[in-house]
Amino acid sequence: MHMRKIIVTLTVVLLFVINATAQNRSVSGKVTDDKGKPLQGVSVSSLDGKYGTMTGKDGNYILALPTTVKTLLFTSVDLETNTIAVNSNTVNATMAAAEKKLQEVVVTALGIVKDKRALGYATQSLKNDQIANKGAIDVISSLQGKVSGVDIVGASGAPGASVNINIRGIQSFNGNNQPLFVVDGIPISNDVDTRNAGSLGTLGNDQSNRALDIDPNNIESVNILKGPAAAALYGSRASSGAIIITTKKGAAGKGKADISLNSNYSFQHASGLPKFQNQYGQGANGVYNPASGLSFGPAFGATPTLANGLLLVSGATVPYQAQPNNYADFFDVGSTWDNNLSINTGDVNQNNSFSLGNVSQKGILPNTKLERSNISFGTNVVVKERLKIGGKVTYTNIGQTGVLTGNGNSSLGRLISGLPRNVDMLFYKKNYKNPDGSNNWPIAGSANPAFYAYENPVTSKVSRINGNVSLGLDIKSWLNVSYRLGIDAYSDRKKQVFAIGTIGQNTTGTVSESSYFRSEINGDLLITAKTNKLFTKNLKATLLVGQNVNQRRYQRVTARGDQLAIPNYYNVNNASVFTNSGEFTTIQRLLGYYAQTTLSFKDYLYLELTGRADKSSTLPKDKNLFFYPAASLSFVLTDAIPAIKSNILSYAKVRGSWAKVGKDADPYILSQSFLKTSYGNNVALTTFPITAGTQTYAGFAANSTIASSSLSPEFTTSSEIGINLGLWKNRLSIDATYFSSESKDQILQLTIPTSTGYDSRWANAGKMTNKGVELLVNLVAISSRTFKWEVTANYTKIKNNVEYIAPGVTSSSINGNAFGGSVPSFMVGQPYGIILGNKIPTNADGRRLVDSTTGLYRTAIANQPISNPNPDYTFGITNSFKFKAFTLSVLFDYRHGSQILSWTSALLKSSGAMDITSIDRDKPRILPGVIETAGGKFRENNIQIPAQSYWNSGSGYGGLQTDLNVYDATVLRLREMSLSYEIPPSEFSSKSVITGVRFSVFGRNLWYHAPQVPIDPEVNTQGAGNIRGLELQSGPNSRTIGVNVKLSF
Amino acid sequence: MKINKYIIGLLSATLLFSSCKKFVDVNQNPNAPTDVPPSLLLPTTQVGIANASSGELGRAASVLVQHNAGIGSQQFSFDQFVLDGLGNNSWDYELFIGSINNLVIMINKTQATSPAYAGIAKIQMAYAFSLLTDLWGDVPYSQGGQGLLFPQPRYDKQQDIYEGNTGLGITSLFDMVRNGIADLGKTTVLAPSAADDMIYKGDLLKWKRAGYSLMLKLANTISVVNPTLAKTVTTEVITANNYINANNLDFEVPFGTATGSQSYHYAFNVVNRPLDQMLSTRFVTLVRGLNDTVRLGKLYTKPGGLFVSTNNGAAAPTGASTAALRSVFSSYIVGTAGEAPVRMLTNFQSNLNLAENIVRLGITGNADSLYKAGIRAHMTKIGMTTTEIATYFTDNPLAVTLTGTTANQLQQIVTQKYIAYTGMEIEAYNDYRRTGIPTLALPLVTQGDNPSVIPKRYPYVSSELSSNPNAPNPRTKTDVKVWWGL
Repeated sequence: MHMRKIIVTLTVVLLFVINATAQNRSVSGKVTDDKGKPLQGVSVSSLDGKYGTMTGKDGNYILALPTTVKTLLFTSVDLETNTIAVNSNTVNATMAAAEKKLQEVVVTALGIVKDKRALGYATQSLKNDQIANKGAIDVISSLQGKVSGVDIVGASGAPGASVNINIRGIQSFNGNNQPLFVVDGIPISNDVDTRNAGSLGTLGNDQSNRALDIDPNNIESVNILKGPAAAALYGSRASSGAIIITTKKGAAGKGKADISLNSNYSFQHASGLPKFQNQYGQGANGVYNPASGLSFGPAFGATPTLANGLLLVSGATVPYQAQPNNYADFFDVGSTWDNNLSINTGDVNQNNSFSLGNVSQKGILPNTKLERSNISFGTNVVVKERLKIGGKVTYTNIGQTGVLTGNGNSSLGRLISGLPRNVDMLFYKKNYKNPDGSNNWPIAGSANPAFYAYENPVTSKVSRINGNVSLGLDIKSWLNVSYRLGIDAYSDRKKQVFAIGTIGQNTTGTVSESSYFRSEINGDLLITAKTNKLFTKNLKATLLVGQNVNQRRYQRVTARGDQLAIPNYYNVNNASVFTNSGEFTTIQRLLGYYAQTTLSFKDYLYLELTGRADKSSTLPKDKNLFFYPAASLSFVLTDAIPAIKSNILSYAKVRGSWAKVGKDADPYILSQSFLKTSYGNNVALTTFPITAGTQTYAGFAANSTIASSSLSPEFTTSSEIGINLGLWKNRLSIDATYFSSESKDQILQLTIPTSTGYDSRWANAGKMTNKGVELLVNLVAISSRTFKWEVTANYTKIKNNVEYIAPGVTSSSINGNAFGGSVPSFMVGQPYGIILGNKIPTNADGRRLVDSTTGLYRTAIANQPISNPNPDYTFGITNSFKFKAFTLSVLFDYRHGSQILSWTSALLKSSGAMDITSIDRDKPRILPGVIETAGGKFRENNIQIPAQSYWNSGSGYGGLQTDLNVYDATVLRLREMSLSYEIPPSEFSSKSVITGVRFSVFGRNLWYHAPQVPIDPEVNTQGAGNIRGLELQSGPNSRTIGVNVKLSF
Repeated sequence: MKINKYIIGLLSATLLFSSCKKFVDVNQNPNAPTDVPPSLLLPTTQVGIANASSGELGRAASVLVQHNAGIGSQQFSFDQFVLDGLGNNSWDYELFIGSINNLVIMINKTQATSPAYAGIAKIQMAYAFSLLTDLWGDVPYSQGGQGLLFPQPRYDKQQDIYEGNTGLGITSLFDMVRNGIADLGKTTVLAPSAADDMIYKGDLLKWKRAGYSLMLKLANTISVVNPTLAKTVTTEVITANNYINANNLDFEVPFGTATGSQSYHYAFNVVNRPLDQMLSTRFVTLVRGLNDTVRLGKLYTKPGGLFVSTNNGAAAPTGASTAALRSVFSSYIVGTAGEAPVRMLTNFQSNLNLAENIVRLGITGNADSLYKAGIRAHMTKIGMTTTEIATYFTDNPLAVTLTGTTANQLQQIVTQKYIAYTGMEIEAYNDYRRTGIPTLALPLVTQGDNPSVIPKRYPYVSSELSSNPNAPNPRTKTDVKVWWGL
């Protein structure tokens, strides 16, 4: 590829030289297929693309050409490219149906375009039409089910909720395991700003990760660099892989424009709600109790008596009937408008691009919405013959309104734990407050979930600008120097309010204004030297030497006021307590030096060697310079030994790579610090400064994490081998990879016993391995002129194992919010992320032990690995059928064997709301298990207990924090389906303004089958982060159905 | 040449960055100080121990001793002996990380030059460790709270914590207090003042009294299991005659009325969880038996002039759906807006402890006058008028006079303490486990480790079980007594 570029560049230079004296002539001709049928829409151009046209309906073309153009290039999708010498003024061409092409080039690290055959590591590319207009408005979700080696799970179906993405498993114990996002060669932030802390610690509100800001409509291609080998040039930040996004550029040809207007409208419904019983209503032990949040009351239709509470002493009866849809009634039907206009003009050398996008979404949770607007402009110009200047700038604006979810006093927390089956949610949603503004709910002292949603929202306003400028100079034909500077900066102004009169917490009203600011400046100097002939003409070489400067700033300023004076006036000056205000700011810098050499022997054997040295601001001065190398080899067997090529085997390549990546630390963890003291949680808290009487006391305490001044960089080494096969003229292509990685001496916050006076310490510790296989298969099952059936499938299996942590330490918790008793952790001998919780004791046969007096389960054993969120394997298959102008595309994905700890499920069981709790409700129940009679002897449990005890969350079957509440989240899902119709180009006259129209209908998450879980298991309270498979009363997933129209001009 | 200029320009621009040595020297933390004076640590540790005693540990004790009945959430579970998760926050953050660790730092900072702080720190630390060992039994003590010096602290036996063990390098709680008292008498450069000492405004003489009252309380706690040591310590306290002997000397942490400054008692019972617990009918019955309902009326609210209580293990009575319709902690305990202090060592406590120790251990002294003084001190403290107090003493001579056998007298003293410890329930829970007084029946519904035994200890917290191999795992069951218990 490089060589071709050089040739093209040289030709261009030559053309410039000769151009002055060149004269034009008119060349015409006819293009037909191998049966002599005229071909319309074939591109006819000079090799450099400067002169070009298209064939008309009759296959004819006319082109004015300078005499210097000696060759014409004929190209069309699905046809073999043809080059023909211009020997006269008439040049006819015949074009044969193409052997299906394996994708030729990919954009790799630093935006370097490489021939795919030269790569010694796995990558996978997706084009715009594979991600846009399929019902996902964020780029990460749009990749779900399509990429091997990648695991993607969203937080919930709320608008803008963050989405977790891990490539090839988890490599870092405590660090960021999300891949680096790179847009047009510039790393951008994909951070999630804020985790609630202190009194709001267990509540989430579906915050976004900032990859949300990218408009998928404006993406030309996404390339996933899976291993650290692929990302070695980005250094430490890409140790979890990289997502290389290339936005659209003008490439239609000189003076031509691609203009397209794309519109989507779709509906979202809450998906995967549990099933409910409608036989029993509010109360406990069969007795109606208006103060109860449980549904263990009398049966609906029971004769009202004083005993069952339905008859009052006054003689009146209690209105008491089932509200079968009350849970679902809480949710709204969401809707999304997604519009994008893009204008791209020019050719490869001189082009301009403009894009304007808007998404307007109303969420499935009441009072939630998302508004996203993007505008971008880019240009690339050849200023002088050897100097190229380019740049692009994008402005993004996001407005998001979310509601609190999570256990406790949140919208979902109240809905899930406190909605008896007879409460009319539709009524109470409309009338969530009384005329005086107070909470209206039939259960005294309990919060209406809708009150939380409408009165205590969280809003976020993001203003983001990112862009890059680049300057490239061809000093010699073989030597290029370029500099690229990228800037990404945003502010996110978040506001959380609690109305006066909120029940449960912040009862006197709170307004919290937080302003988040992040900026990143990234500069790369690249010097590239190439030769076509290193010692021998069979050996080509490229040498790249580079330097990287990176600076990241972060600032969070919070002004929080509690105890508000005036209702509905959410300004900090309405408050009287300000102790939760403050600032947190960081800066970190990195200087990197790198070199890469690529050797190509006879264009079938490629060797690439990379080395990088980073100097980081966050490590101790004597250890802040660290080096890491990478090597990869690619061998195209079918070119090296043409004899093995046959009608069956068209292409074969074997590859291998090895890489080591170093990573620095978080800022400011080298020296011990003291923090302002606060104590407590959502039931009671104190925060310094404390004012008692007339005296105000300041209080500070040692940071509960012990700093370490001797940290050294952490390293991950990884290796992979793979094979690419093309069979039957590449109609079947297979890309298989085996990889393994080992992360060692990680910089991690190690949990230590709190009896030390601290809860964690920074240390280099631990060793973790990942081993896995990825498989990507593409099959063109049927291909005729009118019908094409293509199947693309991917498969991933990863085995993660925590080998050791530190001397005497067998487990440590993962950073983030969780409850004691359900702690996402890493534990020696277990895969990363297992949840340590309470396990009901069992006998040797695995039967649960029942207490001989209570008939309930015996006291659970704490801190046992009870839930493993890692899937055994995942699988995705896209079938696409093209019939004439219709295209039907269907994506199923399957996730086998990951587990989820679902509080929603547990609480709906223990509150008697879920369907299964009505089975034999009035009969005595017996917990499945055995009773220990004498040492080692057991008998079947026969102790009868009431249904309410049977389902209780402590030692009954409700088991909130026990292994009884762990579900196998195996799920088969109809992830995406779309049907589109494209009006054939022949229908438009050459004078028509509109040159293309496509209609489509699409659906996302249309159906799923997860037989073991009461809810749709594709939810995760933390969203993007290292805590997985933990659902603490999250919002539900959503299902999308919509229509799309695309107009081209 | 033109091109060379470009190159030089580009290269020098980059090299400018790289040659600057200071470019990566930006790791100084602007968010948090790397050191603070002891005056900023002291309030942290005082609020820490107050929160520990008035928070979840005290709340669980309040239903286990049946002052309150648990109606909702955790209080409901605790009442039925389901204690999992109890005290995680208290052990982790209020005691070890908030109080003990910062007390250790204070002592290390001030022992040499400003022992006034070190002395106070030792007295507070002894109190904090007494909470730990009394509730959990064997706990990290001699190696606790010392950071990476002991990354996995040993669990010292409760007996060693109280008695000391030279062989194992364990200083007794008594010696810790004695060392603290000694430090208070030394010359000091820095001294606490009204600006940072929330408890005694820098009055070191009062701190000495608190030290002696704490020794008396510790001696009282071990008076059944080790009467010899208890007697020695009590005699030492009597001889020094410098303990908390007036209500205005009480060892208590003040709180405020603003959100975040309010006591845990208020934040929990009034603000966030007003429906979770209410007065237990069993407590009302006991108090009625002593004709002492005027006093109970100062400790609990009386909606419509009546005690609205419920039985342990039962739901709230019909019609009592809000806190205003139930008898709940009065403003003596929660304050009118959260400002009531959290009491940890009091005048009435010292009097009654002395009375008990004199009777139980056969020490010379007038137990009856101490008994009367203790009752009076409590009644005064909670706001009974002089007339109300006089009336009670006149009308109930048998209740306010120690009579009969030693066992009878002990029954009287500990029962008085039981009532007076409303709002200080950990002390009542200690007394109950040590003496079995008063007699408590099982709640209507019980579960937990052993549904037929009122828990004799708290279960070890999950953070220790998962990260400290020295923690007993499987954890000790709650029906196993602590060393000093019955």
